[in-house]
Amino acid sequence: MDNAIEIRTLSVVFSSNGRPITALDSLNLCVPSGQVFGFIGPNGAGKTTTMHVLLGFIAATAGEARIFNTDVNKSIARQRIGYLPEHPDTYKFLTGRELLVMAGRLFLIRGKQLSDRIDEVLSLVNMQNVSNRKIATYSRGMMQRICLAQALINDPDLVILDEPTGGLDPIGRMEVRRIITDLRARGKTVFFSSHELSEVELVCDHLAILSKGRLIVQGPTSKVVPQGESLEKYFMKAVSNQ
Amino acid sequence: MTRILTIAHTVWLGTIRKKDIYVLLILLGALLLAMVSLDVFGLGGAVRYVKDLGLLTAWFFSWILAVNISARELPTEETNGTVFPLLAKPITRAELIAGKWLGTWSVAVISTMFFYLLIIAVVKYKGGSFEFIPLAQAIILHSSALSVICAIALAFSTRMNHDAATSITYILTGAAFFIVPRVPEFMARETGFAANMLMLIYNLLPHFEVFDMRKRLVHDFGPATWKIFFIVLCYGALISFTFILISWLAYRNKRFSRGNLI
Ligand SMILES: Nc1ncnc2c1ncn2[C@@H]1O[C@H](COP(=O)(O)OP(=O)(O)OP(=O)(O)O)[C@@H](O)[C@H]1O
Ligand SMILES: [Mg+2]
Repeated sequence: MDNAIEIRTLSVVFSSNGRPITALDSLNLCVPSGQVFGFIGPNGAGKTTTMHVLLGFIAATAGEARIFNTDVNKSIARQRIGYLPEHPDTYKFLTGRELLVMAGRLFLIRGKQLSDRIDEVLSLVNMQNVSNRKIATYSRGMMQRICLAQALINDPDLVILDEPTGGLDPIGRMEVRRIITDLRARGKTVFFSSHELSEVELVCDHLAILSKGRLIVQGPTSKVVPQGESLEKYFMKAVSNQ
Repeated sequence: MTRILTIAHTVWLGTIRKKDIYVLLILLGALLLAMVSLDVFGLGGAVRYVKDLGLLTAWFFSWILAVNISARELPTEETNGTVFPLLAKPITRAELIAGKWLGTWSVAVISTMFFYLLIIAVVKYKGGSFEFIPLAQAIILHSSALSVICAIALAFSTRMNHDAATSITYILTGAAFFIVPRVPEFMARETGFAANMLMLIYNLLPHFEVFDMRKRLVHDFGPATWKIFFIVLCYGALISFTFILISWLAYRNKRFSRGNLI
């Protein structure tokens, strides 16, 4: 089986006022393609940092990361990716639709193909009715949805979502779960972080638990979580043993 | 190219949907009207003075506009976090820089055209007129100067926050505009090391005075020779390109994490 993401002995050290902060410590991670992969861990564990390395926003202090076997520092590595940031924010002066047009053009999609695709992603995130409003007038959850829509505009093979359900109402959460399972059904890979453990348990084929920059465990959800125990209970034990 | 144009188009929408351009345009209009109606300088509102002051304010406003809009593009992308979804797309840093420059420069040029239209209207109202060719030359060279200003502001903004980049660009371009043309005067008074230093500074700083055809327009000296005109255009293109290149070099390997600029 191919790996969508491969991370080898990845370390990231930030410095803050001269003191080093180790955000990631020799992380090894493999995300098999076609799977839904949950990436969980307490606040400050290094989940967002890992994603930032994968997208080339920050450099690894040591180690390497590859996406579909391409080094993450090459811009072409991002052709088949969709990304939803942790704090989704975007050009507030655009309307939702204009944002999607911009995003699509950056992937060199155009004309009828683009407008069809825009209608498709808008209905996926249930934003058809407000797509002609300025993003400045959107609520936090609507912002989240439009940013998710722009992440899916290129029909990506790998979707990286940083806390996709944060800020969403219960219906929104259910819709995101539906989007994730739809993506899997179409053979896509989803790599997402979340603090909603019940949700992770529900949709993930694989998961990895990170704490203080170190990997605690990774593997198929059914193998990681002992029979008869909930992920939440297991997570508490695993993290407190650290 | 599509990606560059897409970035430029977004800069466009962002700028025309904010208020600064309109404020400057209205200010300029108000100033011109005040000049014409109040006869502030007691000069009987002679056409020549209207032209002189009008062109001066057009330069001044376009300078402010060009610096403001181009120094804020990259830093606000970063502080707002909009740079993340953008860079997650298969866009190169070179395309991003080129798009930002193209967007801010074209906005500055189009607004400057409006400034000129306003001046032409007021001059006409005062019973005067501009000769077509010198006016066209003046606008083109003015646009070329704006391209340099936008490129300089962009270069500083790659590694500085919005405020710092804006101030430094104002200082540098202001110095280039007001002090550089007078360096030969100072040089005449200095000898030895000081003179050499002045010479060095003189040659290194961009020379905005060469883009400035205000005197020709005000005193109806007629057009500049085409040879000089094209040399100046090439000079503008060269400096702009140099600063865009510097921007790219500074931005190429830039890493983004929270709190970089705050
Ligand atoms: N730019 C930075 N400078 C210094 N330290 C940083 C920087 N970015 C992240 N860190 C540190 O790196 C560690 C990992 O942060 P990261 O954002 O990856 O955590 P996370 O797992 O995403 O947490 P959360 O669940 O709260 O989103 C934290 O200790 C954080 O303080
Ligand atoms: Mg995070």
